[in-house]
Amino acid sequence: MGSSIQRLDSNAEVPEEAFDVDVIDMDFHVNPLEEDLEPYIEDERALDRLTTEFGMWPIPDKWDAAYAIAEGNEGLFTQGRAEVAEDVYEACQKFAIDTPIVNCALNMLPQQHHPVLKNAVLEAGNSYMLDHFVDEDVPTALSIAKWDVDHALDELDRWGDEDGVVAAYSWFDPREPWGVEAFDPVFEKLESLGLPLLLHGSLAFWPQHSYVGDEMLTWTEVLGFDWPIYGMVNTVNMIMRGVFDRYPDLNVVFQEAGHWWIPFARYRMDEFYEMHPEDVQITPRKFEDGGHYLDRAPSEYLRDNIYVCTQPFALPRRAGEARGMLDLSMASDTFLYSSDWPHQTLDPPTWFFTSRAFRDDEELRDDILHDNAEEILRL
Amino acid sequence: MSDDTIAIGGDEYTRVAAVGDIESNRGIAVSVDGIEIAVFNADGEFYAISNRCAHQSAPMCKAGEKKINAEHTWTESRGGVNAEACTVSCPWHLWEWDLETGKNEASGQRIATFDVAVRDEDIFVRI
Ligand code: FES
Repeated sequence: MGSSIQRLDSNAEVPEEAFDVDVIDMDFHVNPLEEDLEPYIEDERALDRLTTEFGMWPIPDKWDAAYAIAEGNEGLFTQGRAEVAEDVYEACQKFAIDTPIVNCALNMLPQQHHPVLKNAVLEAGNSYMLDHFVDEDVPTALSIAKWDVDHALDELDRWGDEDGVVAAYSWFDPREPWGVEAFDPVFEKLESLGLPLLLHGSLAFWPQHSYVGDEMLTWTEVLGFDWPIYGMVNTVNMIMRGVFDRYPDLNVVFQEAGHWWIPFARYRMDEFYEMHPEDVQITPRKFEDGGHYLDRAPSEYLRDNIYVCTQPFALPRRAGEARGMLDLSMASDTFLYSSDWPHQTLDPPTWFFTSRAFRDDEELRDDILHDNAEEILRL
Repeated sequence: MSDDTIAIGGDEYTRVAAVGDIESNRGIAVSVDGIEIAVFNADGEFYAISNRCAHQSAPMCKAGEKKINAEHTWTESRGGVNAEACTVSCPWHLWEWDLETGKNEASGQRIATFDVAVRDEDIFVRI
């Protein structure tokens, strides 16, 4: 009897079952060309300067661990470059992604020093996304400045009500964490608009900006650990400083901050807080409100208000170990699937259809692939 | 033995494609009795290797596919064949696999490789 030989369909890149499940991708990057952003710079004076000092360029004279990637900085475009909605659809088809939440990946913006130009670029990015994605019915996360609260509020006034804007996008870094009270007007506004705050790792803290970071010589340290450390620091800062007692409906999503640190933060926060909670009353929000303690155990805010994107998932191969990790991480309440397309750390949803941890628990799979996202996005 | 198979040195080889089916420095994927095989054309030399990357199961046959808006990036393709080094890099995260040995130097992992024979204009693979 002859062999069975079949030429395989070359378009689908993930298991067939993935196409039967709704997949929401919380972190899909769009990278407009600079020349396409320029028409959206409204102020002539800013535009003039931007021709010599535009948004996304590397810091000169500094090392960059991207040399570990076969393509160097090109790792930013390992899969390609999405500029318009059709590009996004084309990429998503291969990976069974039904609903990409797109953002304008101006991730180097926070490190630029010029406040006026930074704001001009950020606004231009949002205007571009409104025209090319929101108007094309692609659910979009628009950017708000971390460096300028008033500007963030102006931007939220400009497009916060638009249908199709499903989240606000900003960055976390080793500068002041998001628990700082100066951000309260932003939280209040986001809560009233029903928009979650997505905080993406930012090249603003490529670690040469800190003493420890300066000694990080490898990609594994830089992207693998520097970002998660600051994701964790920001999470704990927001919880312990009472952000979620004041804004209980605020949802915060960390992107590219890792996710397996959740069990560590969960138990350690509770342990330390329960042992010595007396300093909470002199944190500014509690001090002002006359509160003595947090309203709930710290881990409860972690479960209810904080979300983490899973890319890259790095799931243990043994299903039992994977299940244990997922359980301790409260993954059914905290994890959100993200692909990070088009970067070199791309994470297609393959894990969810190859690991027995999900084959045996479709409810958990669906929580991570779409239910949790649907709960917090303004879809 | 069917029309799709030939014997070479006592081993059975299965026809998987015609030479003209695979453009230079690209690959195709076939399933032979349920085994997924990527067949690559490295500057006219043909190699067969598992179609599933050991890292996260990317389909290796996509290596070398043109990127979306490649003209606005610095390299043309998602991974690809390096004929000189006799390697193929994975379209997802660029792990490099030796086309002859199936080895990835960095991790020490191996994926399956298959002997290939070209007869007339047909490519045969020994499973
Ligand atoms: S799946 Fe091949 S390198 Fe990751």
